Amino acid sequence: MNLTLVVFALLGAMLIPLYEAWRNEDIWQTMLALTSVATKTALIILVVATVRNDLMVAVAGVIILSVGNAGLMLLAHILKRMNYSNQ
Amino acid sequence: MIHVLSYVSIGIGLVFMFWGTFHLLDRRSVLYKLHSLSIADTLGAILIIVGVLLQVPSAWPWLILAIISLALWNTMLGYVLAYCSSRGESYDR
Repeated sequence: MNLTLVVFALLGAMLIPLYEAWRNEDIWQTMLALTSVATKTALIILVVATVRNDLMVAVAGVIILSVGNAGLMLLAHILKRMNYSNQ
Repeated sequence: MIHVLSYVSIGIGLVFMFWGTFHLLDRRSVLYKLHSLSIADTLGAILIIVGVLLQVPSAWPWLILAIISLALWNTMLGYVLAYCSSRGESYDR
């Protein structure tokens, strides 16, 4: 099925932010790359779930989309406090 | 016809995604990257989900939920990241 090719293209697109997160030392650039990884992973999970026609996996993808992004927001606030409380 | 439409949508979404993600490799500021990444990622993801939705209409509740949470959370995450990464004077302690 052609949706499998879409999954592989998405995996290729996910390698770019992973490389950026590995390369860059600055914490905010790493955070940015990791948010991109989170969105793309959830999207891959959704596409795989529809290819396999497995609704439970799709639920996991939707939960990652909402709760994962909320967790990243909390992490950003913690990083801000850690960065600026030392100065 | 529906299949052609869905593949066009998925293709445009993939182009958006690659285009926005390649800006990550530039040596630009965080805010510039955040702008291109949040727009391209959200639009690309929504287009890909719409394409999948056209192909597999039986999964519509989860896909609509995914579109809503993408549109809500990704825009909000963009604002929060921009606020947290900038050194404003009026940050709370």
